[in-house]
Amino acid sequence: MSTQVPADLSEATVHEIASSRDEPDWLRETRLKALKAMDRLEMPDVIQTPGRRWTNLDQLDFDELADPLNQADDTERVTDEGVEVLPFTEAMVEHPELLQDAFGSVIDPERDYLTALSVALFTTGTFIYVPEGVDAEDVTIRTEMNSRSLFSHTLVVTEDSSSVTILERIDSGDDDVDGARYYSNLVEVAAGENSYVQYGSLQTLDEETYNVSLKRGDASVYSTIDWIEGNIGSRLTRSDIETELNGDSSEGRIVGAFFGHDDQHFDVNARVWHKAEHTTADLVTRGVLDDRARSVYEGVQDVGRDAWDTSSYQRENTLMLSDDSEADASPKLIINNHDTEASHSATVGQVDREDLFYLTSRTIPERDARNMLVEGFFVPVFEEIEVEELREDLEAQIAARLRK
Amino acid sequence: MSSDQDHLKETDTEARFEFKKEERSSFQAEKGLTEETIRVISEDKGEPEWMLKRRLRALEQFQEMPMPTDWPGQPDLSEVDVNEIIPYIRPDVETRESVDDWTDLPDDIKDTFDKLGIPEAEKNALSGVGAQYESEVVYQNMQERWEEKGVVFCNMDQAVREHEDLVREHFMTKCVPPSDNKFAALHGAIWSGGSFVYVPEDTVVEMPVQAYFRMNSEGMGQFEHTLIIAEEGSEVHYIEGCSAPKYSAFNLHSGGVEVFVGDGAHVQYSTVQNWSKNTYNLNTKRALVEGDGRMEWISGSMGSKATMLYPSTVLKGRGASDNHITIAFAGEGQNIDTGAKVYHNAPNTKSTIESKSISKDGGRTNYRGLVHIADGASDSSTSVECDALMFDNESTSDTMPYMEINESKVDVAHEATVGKIGDEDVFYLQSRGLDDDDAKQMIVSGFIEPITEELPIEYAVELNRLVELEMEGSLG
Repeated sequence: MSTQVPADLSEATVHEIASSRDEPDWLRETRLKALKAMDRLEMPDVIQTPGRRWTNLDQLDFDELADPLNQADDTERVTDEGVEVLPFTEAMVEHPELLQDAFGSVIDPERDYLTALSVALFTTGTFIYVPEGVDAEDVTIRTEMNSRSLFSHTLVVTEDSSSVTILERIDSGDDDVDGARYYSNLVEVAAGENSYVQYGSLQTLDEETYNVSLKRGDASVYSTIDWIEGNIGSRLTRSDIETELNGDSSEGRIVGAFFGHDDQHFDVNARVWHKAEHTTADLVTRGVLDDRARSVYEGVQDVGRDAWDTSSYQRENTLMLSDDSEADASPKLIINNHDTEASHSATVGQVDREDLFYLTSRTIPERDARNMLVEGFFVPVFEEIEVEELREDLEAQIAARLRK
Repeated sequence: MSSDQDHLKETDTEARFEFKKEERSSFQAEKGLTEETIRVISEDKGEPEWMLKRRLRALEQFQEMPMPTDWPGQPDLSEVDVNEIIPYIRPDVETRESVDDWTDLPDDIKDTFDKLGIPEAEKNALSGVGAQYESEVVYQNMQERWEEKGVVFCNMDQAVREHEDLVREHFMTKCVPPSDNKFAALHGAIWSGGSFVYVPEDTVVEMPVQAYFRMNSEGMGQFEHTLIIAEEGSEVHYIEGCSAPKYSAFNLHSGGVEVFVGDGAHVQYSTVQNWSKNTYNLNTKRALVEGDGRMEWISGSMGSKATMLYPSTVLKGRGASDNHITIAFAGEGQNIDTGAKVYHNAPNTKSTIESKSISKDGGRTNYRGLVHIADGASDSSTSVECDALMFDNESTSDTMPYMEINESKVDVAHEATVGKIGDEDVFYLQSRGLDDDDAKQMIVSGFIEPITEELPIEYAVELNRLVELEMEGSLG
């Protein structure tokens, strides 16, 4: 592998992290195993077409980017009645068995090079536990990244018939780290029977940060996992959001919004696996590109042999505000059961000229008219967001970018 | 219908393709692929030095390139070992040139094409016909009125000799270079037979020209090359049909098709592919289209064990347009991986891709397509529509489109749907007195109708027959 390994990436480093956090042996072992696996693991898959590779992950120079022993963050956690929202270090004390059972049960720590790296080195993260029958709202995690590199691991466990809405807000702090940075975020959601999880996330990292995020959910019988992700910041984002519909009648939604400018690069991926009967999935992604920004989208709807009576839908729409931007998309259907209703669609275009004409003919200045139409374009995404703060925040971020 | 036309009766459609003839040849290359084989083939054909050089260069490229194995969900090609195939068989035809009268062919070869209905079609609906048996074109004829206008329709080997300058300029140079992919390189090394079509400026060839490709021998490879040059303002419709009887060993078909569509010219290329189900069908087809030119690819992929075919169009000139229409039908043991590629390299270009696929009895279909809009190709539009119909739970239907959009003033839309055959539709037809099989057949015919209606009537009928045959195979 051509990738540069972090200078002080060694067993000693991992031991030092684990010891400083007073971690149990199983976690230390998991980290060491992940570290060892990195020798054989590949980078996450990137789409290639003749002569082109859509995202170049080999450019990540961890020698420069990763500084595992100097990770720093400022994380604020807001809980709701009946829900446990704990930093990992506390969760290890209060729910040792629960944590051990759930950790790595949804995301395989050895799935690829970047995931293994993150498991080996994470120093921050949150454990959210929603006991049976509890309905919780607006659980919030606000993280500020204050170092060259930061590796985070979040774990959500919902028991039967519970529900929770979660907001994750990621930003860069006002520290004085110059140059490129690296943020890695793993999120696992294990949804119990008949439970509901909405996990909404918005990142506004500074534009020198490489942001790699992998979120994956395991939906059991009658449960629903909704993912919402807004990508505004970062220099390059590689985001994978995945749901496995393992229980009969489970549902999944993946809603994404991005707005790229300058030379930002967003590689966003939404994937769902239908593995049980009567499952439903809906994938909606809307993005806007300005300046020289580039977006890469892959959506996968995989319907397994045993997934009778499946409904699966996917839409991806990109608006291009600039001629120098590029939008690449690949929505995929993989269907192994004929008792399926599946569709996907993707469009790329610019702001509708007739709409623009209508508004300008009503004396609205062209720039304002365009901005209104772009904000309107994101409405289908806003409508899916249940946490008001997230919706308002995302709306404000988009408005600010339009008027910068 | 006269007695010697009995094979054309509906019920005998299968027999029309399945019969085998004794293998008879005047020259057969050794199995496998070496420089020596290629020199022998080239010498047997009496080729100029430059062609031999191109073949040898392509062979080098073939040997350097790895087998494609990392495409997501691609057909398994591990069985395809070029050292196991016979790359070249010259059938035992007395004249080295192809004949222009069916009666001059040896009886068994004539009988083959009679059974396939080619001479009959020639009389009724075609401007010209070429027929390839094994590695060589054995019959070639075109109506005189086209010849008088300067239209050329001859076999590719003849074109190398008689139209050397044109061929030298266009043959596997700027359209499909051997470096394009491993099988294009293989093709470049051992191509044999195929058609050369040249249509002069402002000439409209009103009736289609057709080429028919037949593999008869077990374990052979067919590598015909088709080169079509349509000059400014001209029009031509080229149809190819292919079939082979089924053997236990695998056959390999790796054709190369290059189409040059001049300013304002219009070329339609239709294929009804019905290779036997032991054939690997790995083709490279590409068209370069100048300003206001129009390219149409119409493909029905019914046969083969595995097909990997993505006809591609490069829209080079302002206002050029492309239309792809594809039907894929995968039954038991078949993996039909097909699609389309379109590069929009100029402003005001337009493409539409329509794909219909049907999978049943464990068959797998995959639509794999790429639309690339280059920076500067403003006011271009593309629309891709893929619909898949699945019959049962053993089958697989995948859709994998790729879109690369580098220009903002464009209109890009992709849509795909997958579903099973509607119980309600079947019930409706049954309540009108049709049995289950007929009802399903009718629904499938309706599903592919948007495509069959683009074909000349004979081919639409042919395609419908093949579909019915596929359906009967499982439902009957």
